[in-house]
Amino acid sequence: MILFRTLERRIAVVFVGLLVVVMLLMLLIVARSGEAIIATESERQLSAGARNVSNMIDRDRRQLELAASVLSGDFSFREAIATQDRATVLSVLRNHGSRIGARVMMVLSLSGEVIVDTQRPGKPARPFPFSDLLRAAESSGRSGDVALMEDGLLYEIVVVPILAPIRTAWVVMGFPVEDAWASEVARGSGLDVSVVATGGVRASSLSPTLRSALEKQQSTALSEQPRQLTLDGRNYHAVALPFGPQARVLLLHSLEHSEAVFRELEHALEIIAGAGIALFVIGSFGLARRIAGPVKALARAAQRIEVGDYSEAVAVTAPDEIGQLAAGFESMRTGIASRENKIMRLAYEDTLTGLPNRTRLAERLAGLDPEAAAMVAVLGLDRFAPINDALGHPVGDRLLQQVGARLAGVMPPRGMLARLWGDEFAFVVEGVDELSARDFATRLLAALREPIELDGQKLDVGGSLGIAFRPADGRDMDALLRRAEVAMYSAKRRQSGYALAGEVGEGPPPEELSMIGEMRQALDRREFVLHYQPKLALGSNRVVGAEALLRWQHPERGLMPPGRFIPFAEQTGFIREITPWLLGEVAAQAANWRERGISVVLAANLSARDLLNPDLVVLMRELLAAHELPPAALCLEITESALMEDPTLALSHLAELAAIGLKLSIDDYGAGQASLSYVKSLPVHELKIDQSFIGSLTTSPKDAAIVRSTITLGHALGLTVVAEGIESEADLNWLAAAGCDIGQGYFIARPMTASAFCDWISGRAAAPAV
Amino acid sequence: MADRAGHQTGRLTPRLALAALVLGWACSAGAASLTLRVRTPAGTPVEDAAVVLDPVNGTPPQSHGRATIEQRDRDFVPYLTIVQKGTAVDFPNRDPFKHHVYSFSPAKVFEIKLYAGKPANPVVFDQPGEVALGCNIHDWMEAHVLVVDTPWFAKTGADGVARIDRVPPGAYRLRLWHPRQKGAAADIEVDLRRASRHLDLKLEVAPRVIVKKPPLDAGGY
Repeated sequence: MILFRTLERRIAVVFVGLLVVVMLLMLLIVARSGEAIIATESERQLSAGARNVSNMIDRDRRQLELAASVLSGDFSFREAIATQDRATVLSVLRNHGSRIGARVMMVLSLSGEVIVDTQRPGKPARPFPFSDLLRAAESSGRSGDVALMEDGLLYEIVVVPILAPIRTAWVVMGFPVEDAWASEVARGSGLDVSVVATGGVRASSLSPTLRSALEKQQSTALSEQPRQLTLDGRNYHAVALPFGPQARVLLLHSLEHSEAVFRELEHALEIIAGAGIALFVIGSFGLARRIAGPVKALARAAQRIEVGDYSEAVAVTAPDEIGQLAAGFESMRTGIASRENKIMRLAYEDTLTGLPNRTRLAERLAGLDPEAAAMVAVLGLDRFAPINDALGHPVGDRLLQQVGARLAGVMPPRGMLARLWGDEFAFVVEGVDELSARDFATRLLAALREPIELDGQKLDVGGSLGIAFRPADGRDMDALLRRAEVAMYSAKRRQSGYALAGEVGEGPPPEELSMIGEMRQALDRREFVLHYQPKLALGSNRVVGAEALLRWQHPERGLMPPGRFIPFAEQTGFIREITPWLLGEVAAQAANWRERGISVVLAANLSARDLLNPDLVVLMRELLAAHELPPAALCLEITESALMEDPTLALSHLAELAAIGLKLSIDDYGAGQASLSYVKSLPVHELKIDQSFIGSLTTSPKDAAIVRSTITLGHALGLTVVAEGIESEADLNWLAAAGCDIGQGYFIARPMTASAFCDWISGRAAAPAV
Repeated sequence: MADRAGHQTGRLTPRLALAALVLGWACSAGAASLTLRVRTPAGTPVEDAAVVLDPVNGTPPQSHGRATIEQRDRDFVPYLTIVQKGTAVDFPNRDPFKHHVYSFSPAKVFEIKLYAGKPANPVVFDQPGEVALGCNIHDWMEAHVLVVDTPWFAKTGADGVARIDRVPPGAYRLRLWHPRQKGAAADIEVDLRRASRHLDLKLEVAPRVIVKKPPLDAGGY
């Protein structure tokens, strides 16, 4: 309803509506009780008037009878009647009748014959038409009643005897019942009086109009029970009294006067009600406005807050409830403003460094002209992980803060620096060409080359930078960042400081990126499996060990070698979850086989990150204890490059592992930059020559020379030398001849599942040696 | 009532001289007497009933006697008087105030206007008939005079009994009348031969309405 759309109207409508209802009820009650009072009062007056009229009629009749009696007793009248002379009798009747106002005079014989009739002089005698009256007169001396006479008029008729002194005749006197009579009775009773007989209204005190109105409804009016009657639009209470056998006296009490009094009262009440309602309308609208005004202001304030405009304070006008509400709004406004501020910061700001985050950076990039040239550069710190692992997160965090501050110092104008995640930072700089990008890269790397000092300790983090250009390397943020990131990894691998995306290509295919996300699920679903590749002692032709190789039984891509997912596991840090699982599996398998009499040394590969993990030593201790394994039953293979990430820390961890008694092996030896002197210092037991040398032993004399010298060198250092990637008998024979201790490769056996490995061992024991 | 009847009988004695002739006529034939008892059909004795014997044959002897109807204590005394035609009736007023005696009865219309004491001239009732007497100034005063044409009549006393003596034997019509009778009784043929005869008659009579007189103050009216 439109009426109730605003609070203002609703208040006003409810207030005014209630008042109207109350007023209407009051008026109704007044009208009702007025009617009741009028009706009661009128009935009372009517019945009193009716008694009065009744008495008047009786008294009137008695007086007429008396007057008639007196007349009939008049001596000269009697004397004249006694003359029997009709003319005289008629004359005396007229004379004496006029004395008391009788219009009709008759003399009746004792037998009831009309002897003389003033109305019909000279007519022969005839029976008196009102025999009842005569009988009543005979029994009680005289009688009177109302009746219609031959002339058609209504008469009050009195019959009295002529006594001389015995009854000698009857005298009948008729007094016409006319308007004068009605008016006189009306005056005496205070009611309107009408006489109704067959043929209509015979006499009335009413005005001609009302009289004719009464003529029309006399049939309904003539009730001896009081009833309401409307004549000519006026209300009356009416009651009829019997008046002789043929007539009735109808008494009307006008309600006009009483109604007028009540109408006046009702008018006064209506005026009061109208004025009251008008005042209420004004008052309630005023009140409603006073209430609704501030509420509207609050609604506007709320709308401002809704659209994020917190600038205008909510005005608190009064100390009432609405004022309290406004105060509440105000504190809500400031609260929301500060929280939104905070949320904005959380959303767009890296809490650690205070730099913009990746989201903010993306928005910035999106905000640029899509066609405009821009540079996106990703910086990855080279040695952050080992520092973080070694010195703990608090130090790592502070280091990142320092790096952020330093990077901000070399930020070109019109650029933005953001921290992406972990130890990666990114720059977006507008309108940068390749030349100035290179210049920027140089300045940046130079700035990072300076060690960062924390608590008096100088930390040398270094960094690699990948740079992508828009629009050459992509348009959207994700593409550009990925390209830059790939370039950064490339630079890191090549240790070239920085690389341009255009120079290093697209980077890993998208499927590998998605793989990163799948790895966690894979661990839970036990999709990772271990295959074992035997290590054969070339001298004794005995299987002395096996290398555990991780495979991913991918539900869609099938069996995947580690080369396709381990790099990503290392990049994402997921390797930290894979390695403990892998070591646990290997230890369990070793214990299992040992129980079954298969005594081989099981080797597991460790990544650089694993090696730098300070918890590794603890884990190994626990595994050995849990599976009751002699430490020498397990061998850990570490790649040369892993060692080179942080040679110092690696060395200290290796020392601890060696101290436990675990066998340690340098994997892929010859592919990296490890110097012999460094290798010499390592507490390792085994040297695995990189398979790239083995594959070309028989074809490349240089490789054969390297292998031979490496074997010699390893032996010189007291290390067991292992050759992997043996794919032919020739290779095997060559290596055995060269004195290589242990061989591994497809020619000996492919990596196989644990159960297949068992079968293979059993088969070997049964069959003659290869 | 009884003493009043006696009174009346006494009044008749002065006229013995006149009666001698009658008696002589009666004696010549040998006199008879008639006793009547008049009662209402309910058995109540009827007082003031007139019993009149008219001879069937012959003319009864004429009489010119006198009678008196007094006005005493604002009443006529007696209530009923039977007289033979030609009788003069005196209306002595015994009250200390005047009366105005009148009659509008056709048998005798007369009026003695306000008078005190005894009016000089009596009223002669010279026609048979019923005459109602009233007083113009005392409405309740009522008396009746029955004027007959025969000397043989009587009126009943309070016991309803009337006796007519010395009636010459012969055939008579017995007429019974009462001022307040309801309907006239039929005449009865009576043959009087024996010395005396007794008759029981019924007559319905309206009770006399005794109108209460206005009180007389000490100072008179």
